[in-house]
Amino acid sequence: MEAKKIGCYICTGCGIGEALNVAALEKVASKEQKIPVTKSHPFLCGTEGIALIRQDMANEGVNALLIAACSHRNKTDEFEFNIPLLDRVDLRDKVLWVLEDGSKDSTAKEDLQMMAADYLRMGSVKLKKMNAPDPFLESGFSKDVLVVGGGVAGLTAAKEVADTGYRAILVEKSDQLGGMVARMHKTTPTLPPYRTLEDNPVQGLIAAVEGHSRIKIYKGAAIHKTQGAPGLFDVTIHAGGTETTERVGSIVLTTGYNLYDPAKLDKKLGYGSSPDVVTSLEFEEMAKAGKIVRKSDGKPAKRVAFSLCAGQRDSNHLEYCSAACCSYSLKHALYLMEQYADASAYILFQELRTPGQMEEFYRRVQEEGGVIIKGDVEKVEKAAAGGLTVQIHDKLVRGKEQLEVDLLVLATGMVSSVDTTDPNNPSPVGQVAEDAARYVLNLQYRQGRSMPELKWGFPDSHFICFPYETRRTGIYAAGPARRPMGIAETITDATGAALKAIQVVESVARGAAVHPRSGDLSYPSFRAEGCTQCKRCTEECPFGAINEDEKGNPLFNPTRCRRCGTCMGACPQKIISFANYSVDMIGSMLKEVEVPAEDEEKPRILLFACVNDAIPALDMVGQNRSKLSPYIRIIPLRCMGSMNLVWVADAMSSGFDGVLLMGCRHGDDYQCHNVRGSSLAETRLSKVSETLDRLQLESDRVKMVEVNIMDADTLPQLINDFAAQIASLAPNPYKEF
Amino acid sequence: MADDQAAGQTILVVGGGISGLTAAVEAAEVGYKVLLVEKDPHLGGRVAQHYQYFPKLCSPSCGLEINYQRVKNNPLIRVMTLAEVEDIQGTEGNYTVRIRQNPRFVTEKCTGCGDCSRACTVTVPNPFNFGMNEIKAIRASHAMAYPGHYFMDAAYARSAEAQTLVSVCPVGAIDPNMSATTLEEKVGSIVWATGWQPYDAEKIQPYGFGRFANVSTNMRFERLANTYGPTGGTLTRPSDGKEIKNIAFIQCAGSRDHNHLPFCSRVCCLASMKQATYVRSQFPDAKVTIYYIDLRAMDRYEGFQKKVEADPSITWIKSKPARIDEDPVTKDPIVVGENTLTGVRYADPYDMVVLATGMEPNSATTARVPAQAVAYDEYGFVVKGGQVLSTGCTATPLDVAAAVQAGTAVALKAIQSAARRG
Amino acid sequence: MAYDLSFARDVYKNSEMGHWIKMCKQCGVCAGSCPLGPHWEFSPRQLFQMVRAGKKEEVLKSHSMWMCTSCYNCIVRCPRGLPITHIVHGLARYASVKGYADPDQVTNRFATRIFWTNIVSTGRVGEAMLTMRLYFVDGIAAGIKQGLEMKDSALGMLKAKRLNPIPLRGKIKGYAGFQAMLTKAQELEEKRESGV
Repeated sequence: MEAKKIGCYICTGCGIGEALNVAALEKVASKEQKIPVTKSHPFLCGTEGIALIRQDMANEGVNALLIAACSHRNKTDEFEFNIPLLDRVDLRDKVLWVLEDGSKDSTAKEDLQMMAADYLRMGSVKLKKMNAPDPFLESGFSKDVLVVGGGVAGLTAAKEVADTGYRAILVEKSDQLGGMVARMHKTTPTLPPYRTLEDNPVQGLIAAVEGHSRIKIYKGAAIHKTQGAPGLFDVTIHAGGTETTERVGSIVLTTGYNLYDPAKLDKKLGYGSSPDVVTSLEFEEMAKAGKIVRKSDGKPAKRVAFSLCAGQRDSNHLEYCSAACCSYSLKHALYLMEQYADASAYILFQELRTPGQMEEFYRRVQEEGGVIIKGDVEKVEKAAAGGLTVQIHDKLVRGKEQLEVDLLVLATGMVSSVDTTDPNNPSPVGQVAEDAARYVLNLQYRQGRSMPELKWGFPDSHFICFPYETRRTGIYAAGPARRPMGIAETITDATGAALKAIQVVESVARGAAVHPRSGDLSYPSFRAEGCTQCKRCTEECPFGAINEDEKGNPLFNPTRCRRCGTCMGACPQKIISFANYSVDMIGSMLKEVEVPAEDEEKPRILLFACVNDAIPALDMVGQNRSKLSPYIRIIPLRCMGSMNLVWVADAMSSGFDGVLLMGCRHGDDYQCHNVRGSSLAETRLSKVSETLDRLQLESDRVKMVEVNIMDADTLPQLINDFAAQIASLAPNPYKEF
Repeated sequence: MADDQAAGQTILVVGGGISGLTAAVEAAEVGYKVLLVEKDPHLGGRVAQHYQYFPKLCSPSCGLEINYQRVKNNPLIRVMTLAEVEDIQGTEGNYTVRIRQNPRFVTEKCTGCGDCSRACTVTVPNPFNFGMNEIKAIRASHAMAYPGHYFMDAAYARSAEAQTLVSVCPVGAIDPNMSATTLEEKVGSIVWATGWQPYDAEKIQPYGFGRFANVSTNMRFERLANTYGPTGGTLTRPSDGKEIKNIAFIQCAGSRDHNHLPFCSRVCCLASMKQATYVRSQFPDAKVTIYYIDLRAMDRYEGFQKKVEADPSITWIKSKPARIDEDPVTKDPIVVGENTLTGVRYADPYDMVVLATGMEPNSATTARVPAQAVAYDEYGFVVKGGQVLSTGCTATPLDVAAAVQAGTAVALKAIQSAARRG
Repeated sequence: MAYDLSFARDVYKNSEMGHWIKMCKQCGVCAGSCPLGPHWEFSPRQLFQMVRAGKKEEVLKSHSMWMCTSCYNCIVRCPRGLPITHIVHGLARYASVKGYADPDQVTNRFATRIFWTNIVSTGRVGEAMLTMRLYFVDGIAAGIKQGLEMKDSALGMLKAKRLNPIPLRGKIKGYAGFQAMLTKAQELEEKRESGV
């Protein structure tokens, strides 16, 4: 590999040239930091400025760029040179705009210059410590996609994968494809005018999947083991008495749902008290079979009550809403009214939920005579003449009413069939008895065999912005396995999951990360000889990327890695680093800051800021021209999870007076793109007082705050208050050393 | 396609809101070229105007920022802002589209320094804040706008002052003489993701929006709560600047209504619950009343409804109010109707009433698809069966999570479609 | 009380616009829209749900559907497009036909005893006579009192030519034809109601 030759380019536009002594800055770069090529330009992002850089790259052999101009979030197209070694020093947004107030005050000018010079030093050392990442590439990568579960979601995912030109392997536990929807009669409308029931799409899907040359199907199959990582998953499938291992690139989890056990429902709903109290699925099957009859005596069931939310939206049962049951129940009422001209269909609802164009289907069912009643079932008794007497509380006519019906249909909810575990309490592999049937994938992951759950047994994470994120790279859940949903939405969802499954195998093939650091070619390496088997990295990785050998040494799976650096932050031995991001790099950067002597009364405060939220917020502080303390020095971190405590110790021993950490919101509604980064940082920090005690320093010199990207209005006060608080303490005694 | 990626057919995505942005980024990250066309000067669409997302009460800018990073980092995505697709010819796998590039009057040289905006003396009603405040006629749309370079209003560009700004710009980025251009592009597939506009609340005559100062809408309220909104995020009412401590939200203002939008707009119930939390967190002594027909907090969002329901200062009234009157002295809006669960008629005054207006698909009005064969439903949503793929709120009213799902799914359909040569 | 659709089905079939009752989604906008809303025992929405619940006696004996003044606010605002004014009048008529209507209910009394006799006798509405009979329906003293109270309105209406002062102008041209039409209409209505 050719030697690194750094070129430092200082933009003097946007007022930088007027406010700063650029010649002195150039000297910092060239003389102090020994950067071989250092130049300034009045409009660096303009055609001439870019040409200047390109010329040096072509003629001077510059192959690493330090661009000192505006925030790295600006002018990204202009400053794109297709080289891995590039760093941006922000002299404008986070220096000039937050300090310069037009005053001729010499102290202010000096502070401004000192800050700019420090950032240039930090950028220089960062670039010196940075190496071009060598992407992880292997010959054994597979681009095949495993689809687990052969219902509508799985059939769709397999078909979409195959239609895009990739091979799909479909595993279904039963002997037949089609899943839950195969048991249904018809489906609710998806096409205008949204009034008519549609034919069940399952048979068509099964035919398409079974006839597809790129789809391999295992029926009556169970997955005994899933080993490996994206591109390199080895999945052991048992089917028909034989064991097969398939190498796949990614996995789509479409195991669907189980209905909430009706036996657990409140007794007042009457399930089990009479055969004429049935679940909606039982009613569906009856309609599919042809005749809607009383189960007790086989007589035509013309009077039917449909009770929605049976055990749903209920803290004693399922706390969530199953989304599709309102529409399904309306559909059931329509089956009834289509079968019997003199039918009585009563729809007992809490909140009738027919979103979007389904509102028209709701109208259709009323038009046919379906009666809606907002009310609860209070008691179910067998009627003397057969059928049931259902006592309800009718909230709209405000009283107790009776329904004489032949059937009571309970709309029970959806329970994800994916095995999940509390991510904070995973059961590690090796501590759980072998029981393959309990697991859908039986992941051979150090953090557990099951999928991490967010809530209510659903294996998801960032369900708003990144709905397919499961915290297990390369494994995407879709359909009701992931979240309760109806058939049309399931088909969309499975198509989206198919895309993600394809995207990950293509990214792996390029050695690139997937979301949130899409395209990142770097990945951590482990200096094995330094490991003390403390297991922090294997426990803390938010994505379960690191397994362990029997001695507790980390076994890293690069293609599971999202490059957040949480392992690097966790490691007390500093053995984990990226080519372009390391404990040493950040440590060296902070040590490069010139700390004024105690008697100068210029404290220094180190500010670690997450690039996802805090850095953009700080940019906006600059845009607003809000003023910040001149004593702060900001180091962006790719995620707070990568924060290694040694930096805090380094900062203190280097003479910084305070350290402020700005991470994303954590807790139940976490915003951290890497799920646990900022939360782990806070946990680590709780131990920092020991370090400070050892150094005989006050523990409130170090503080962590949650910063939202839109906090530019409150950030200045937060930062300046902290600076004032630090200024009120005695200077850090380690400045002298 | 796996075997056939060299074909490199470009996917055209029309609309840079969350659905289009998702479709573009997801397809590009598989390895396909994408042309993303947006009519506004910035990406982000409706989502960018929101203060927080339900149910996590986090800023949409956070999710948008990472998507913008993905766009910036991906050379396969080409973004055109202030651009509109005027014509589509050809067939699947082989379309020719004509795109109108409206003038920005500021070139890409712009560094976002803001000197021009400070020099500009002309203000206009701020469209990003629904005209609730004034903003300079040359500007970035908002603090998080991407692309970040400035633009000038077309009317202002014709003024004499606009010419004087040319010399104000230190990098020579301003050109008030810029005119619209038209270009043709070859694309393999087309995703229509032009999104929605809030239903025009003035059409709901009995609710008095436009006549009564303190009757607002949900989208306006998002801006009112926003730090970058017209009041800097302080919830005060227009008539007298009084703090909004007694507020009502009226659901289905225009939705589920054959006089207006017959369909359900899906998100409004949750949006009102979310907005109730804005008020409650800003003023601990505030009272909130939500008038509704059915509370539609689907699937896991039910948990959010439960959380909001746990707040005793929020009252829920199952009723579609009949009308709003205005107290001539206090300018309090008075909501009149019948509580359907008690049968009691009410006429209750509030500091402000927010109408939860629904989503009208732009494809029904301003963003019709200029192609030969397009399938619409009676509401103007683009449905299956035509030449273009539709996604997000162009196909059906969706919340953000569902729009991201749909945007991801359509990316795959677009990849498949681009590979099919007609 | 048990839900029973037989009453609802009869209303759907035999009450004017009665089939629309199926379509109500119980939003309540009609109740709030009605200027006489507070005087109704049951709002239109409630009446409709009661019809669907089979509460025949309560619905038909109710005075509520006689309260409608045909302002059409409810029709304009109903999100489901129910012709509520017509449905409510239909229910009143249905109650009347089924023998449930209270003859002393004020609207019923006005309609059957005052308005109907007035219009049938001549073929046109004699406005002065109609007003007089309305005022004097509760006795002479009450009639004089109300007449005096309303005299300014009456004079104003006279000036604006909104009230014809001549009490009797005789029968309309073709009165016999008018009567024949009424007879035929009644015949048809009876036939429809008897379900033949």
